[in-house]
Amino acid sequence: SNWLPFLVWFQFSNSHMFINDVFTSCGQWLEDQTKKLHKDMKKSTEADLAMSKAAVKISADLLSNPLCEQDQAFLDSMNALDTAMKRMDSFNQEKVNQIQKTVIDPLKKYSGVFPSLNMAVKRREQALQDYKRLQSKVEKYEEKEKTGPVMVKLHQAREELRPVRDDFEAKNKQLLDEMPKFYHSRIDYFQPSFEALIRAQVVYFTEMYKIFNDLTDQIDQAGLTDEQRERETEAKLSELRALSIVADD
Amino acid sequence: MEVPRRLPPSSFTLTLPKPAASAPASFVPEKDPEEEENLREEDEAGEETFISTEEAEPGASVVERSNSNLSSRDSFSEESGGPMQLMAIEELVQSERNYLRLLQLSTVTIRGNLLKLQPPLLNLNSMFLHVDEVMDASSRLLSLLDQKRVRPGDPLFLQTLCESFLSLSSDIEAAYKEYLANYNHITVVENSYKQREGLWNEIVRVIKASAPEVNATSLTFFLVMPVQRIARYPLLLQTIQKHTDPAHPAYALLEHTAHTSIALNCGINEYKRFREVADKYKKTETLTIKDKINRLNSHSIAKKTARLSQQIKHETGITPKLVDEEFDALQDFFYVLEHGILELLENVETYLHHLQGFLACRTEEFDLDMDGEKAPICYKEITTALRQWILPTFEKRMRTLIHRPLCALRDLLVGPRNLIRKRLDKLLDYELIEAKSNLSYEEHAVANTYRTINTLLLNELPQFNGVALQMIWSMLGTFSCLHRDLASDMEQLFQSFAQQLPHSSLSPGAFWEWAESMALEGARRLETLCRSVEDTLNAPVVQPLSPSSQRRLKQLMDKHGSGKIWQAAAVVSSRDLDLNLAKGELVAVISEMDTRGDRRRWLVDAGGRRGYAPSSKLIRYHQPAEDPPPSPHLTLPDGVTGIRRHSYSPESRPLTSQPCFQVMAAYDFAARGSHEVSLRAGERVRVLEPHDKRGNPEWSLVEARGGQRGYVPSNYLTLMPLGVGVGPPGSYLPH
Repeated sequence: SNWLPFLVWFQFSNSHMFINDVFTSCGQWLEDQTKKLHKDMKKSTEADLAMSKAAVKISADLLSNPLCEQDQAFLDSMNALDTAMKRMDSFNQEKVNQIQKTVIDPLKKYSGVFPSLNMAVKRREQALQDYKRLQSKVEKYEEKEKTGPVMVKLHQAREELRPVRDDFEAKNKQLLDEMPKFYHSRIDYFQPSFEALIRAQVVYFTEMYKIFNDLTDQIDQAGLTDEQRERETEAKLSELRALSIVADD
Repeated sequence: MEVPRRLPPSSFTLTLPKPAASAPASFVPEKDPEEEENLREEDEAGEETFISTEEAEPGASVVERSNSNLSSRDSFSEESGGPMQLMAIEELVQSERNYLRLLQLSTVTIRGNLLKLQPPLLNLNSMFLHVDEVMDASSRLLSLLDQKRVRPGDPLFLQTLCESFLSLSSDIEAAYKEYLANYNHITVVENSYKQREGLWNEIVRVIKASAPEVNATSLTFFLVMPVQRIARYPLLLQTIQKHTDPAHPAYALLEHTAHTSIALNCGINEYKRFREVADKYKKTETLTIKDKINRLNSHSIAKKTARLSQQIKHETGITPKLVDEEFDALQDFFYVLEHGILELLENVETYLHHLQGFLACRTEEFDLDMDGEKAPICYKEITTALRQWILPTFEKRMRTLIHRPLCALRDLLVGPRNLIRKRLDKLLDYELIEAKSNLSYEEHAVANTYRTINTLLLNELPQFNGVALQMIWSMLGTFSCLHRDLASDMEQLFQSFAQQLPHSSLSPGAFWEWAESMALEGARRLETLCRSVEDTLNAPVVQPLSPSSQRRLKQLMDKHGSGKIWQAAAVVSSRDLDLNLAKGELVAVISEMDTRGDRRRWLVDAGGRRGYAPSSKLIRYHQPAEDPPPSPHLTLPDGVTGIRRHSYSPESRPLTSQPCFQVMAAYDFAARGSHEVSLRAGERVRVLEPHDKRGNPEWSLVEARGGQRGYVPSNYLTLMPLGVGVGPPGSYLPH
């Protein structure tokens, strides 16, 4: 498990200078990871769809070529191939639709939270700066000789400080509440997505096996290893090269 | 108390989060030794040095750091790695031990007990045929590690691990090859047992009694483990690699080991396919397709009349004087073939292009710190296998068996094509002289050339056409076979995960309903979070009113009512007839637009003065709430939105949020005095004070295991979210 070297979680919220770092680096890391995963998933799905469509085009183009009409057995094979490809494409589309709903969309929504969170962290930091500024102003007056005007100014400064401090406390408390919960929530949030990804692929490849197992029985020469296939292909190419009409100039 | 400052470990092997510009300088990735040397020299005087690897956001806190006089042997050397690497290594070793133990449990204890059943189970021993070699490979690996007497924390351990694995790799391949090639037989036998309910219940009872601590309900629960284990090595090794500094002495070896583990899987899968093909061939000899392909020989092509040739003759309107139907049929077939080959090649190349695009998106490389959860780990393993050896093998076979021969075939088209064109040229010449009775020498030559070419084509084109078509047909059969093998490899992989996922037993409809509802639920919770964050953000700060402001407020409220009170958010200094307002001054809004209907200028009453003010500088004024007495325990109800205003004294501020994190030592720390306390990496601590006596937050007062208290460097501590798998390595998957 990837340990994030956070700094210590202060139960006393005294050391505010570190909380900002915790929030920003944790948040940034999580944001970067989810954005990357979202981007990769999208691209992967697009490539997947394109691959499937390309496979369909292979068989469809062949089928529409008059070559097929030359031999009934060849035509039957091409029909079978075309049917298989189209079926696989429709299963693929279904798989992609499921993934879109249960994985890609949730990833996008999760990423969409970060602008608000980042803004909240910024605002908290601003509030902290305001708080510190007014706090030091109060302290300045507290250190002075307690004359009448000084006491008045002190009182005013304290009054000015109070709401600003309250505002900071509220923002701080909210983030201290929400950030860990948000970070922790990723587990429950993404668990279903991963299960869905796996399940969708299980279904897809199970279908693929069934379809292509049948098709292979129908259109492929049985019992050939890759070496045997290569040898047969090479033999045919040699046969062709031996023809005079196939000149190598 | 004298607070010596020290550098954190000089080279991290952690995969640190890559923070943005506002990252604190405490997350320092690998520094080069030269830079460190310079710093050490500079800081002899004990001045504080400021190190930042990213640009710090203004106002962001930065941790000041200086080096100390400590020699380098007190900081981590590169060999020892970091806690992440250590965990990954221990994961591999621990899970191997666990795996071997469970296999032994099944082959010795469970099998022994099952053998005692009456009537005796048919074929039971056949299920355990090849498991001994697999267990042998595993125990040899573990004993090699134990022999060397190195522990996972030892710097040499990684090297030992890689060397041991590599030395056994051919034995591992041999053992797993046979096992996986015969695995289908195991499921077949178990399914035969399942057919008889009484028998199956008896078997399950024996299994549960023999291994009560394992939650197993079938024999395949154990026997599928080698299938899973071999596919797991790449991910385990790559995880170690991910957390290992490339400068680590054993890095190259580790990389080689990881590649070897992938090659093992490729070899094992290839062997499995080889055996399947051999078995199948023995069982069913379907020669019909082979017959059909072979029938496409030269004679059959020549004899067929292409409808096309008739069509073309009618359409062109150029009827050559010599109409050779047989030749035309051959020629048309050739052109159609040529078009088919070129199109097929283009389509195959497009397909391969998208396949490569798919392989490039490495979706298994994410890191959401969820490695303790089953579903993400399963997904990573499946996807690693798919992208790193299953699909690459598929691609390689496609290129070797389809793309390359297709390219070669395309190249051979040139010859006949040129010759056909040449023949047509010669034919035109021939037609001109053909009628003549007396031919000159040159004219004879022309006639002969034509006749030669024509005859040659007539003889050989049929064969060309036929063989080319045979090749295409075979390639398509191969294409189908490649897909079947791909799907079969994936299915084998899935078998080992089926039992581990919580919702795998749901029916498809139920499963998708659950998944979609979870997605909606998640979206709803995110939205709640966003709203509550935004509400707090937008709540304005309420300033107390000065006496004069209080009088103004009363005056305006008496005259206009409390709903119309607004406040200047900034100084309003204006020209013309507009009002000047101080920041914070209260006004009552009379009209939200001016006489010309401009909604940006509002007519306001500023306590007697009336005039226009820009609406952009006004915010609605909210009355401050009554301050409640400071209370030591504040509990917020869940999901509170809206403005939260709480005033409480600084002294009583215990956080009432649930502790979602726990604190642990991220690295070993050796105390150098009585005021410090030693820590071991991974040890849980309790923070007593997050700073030292002078308030310096670089040191924290902690209570370690055993109750000792003392100071430790704050950046040696880490937060571990509660609830994420923090158990001992390998605890999240039964293995």
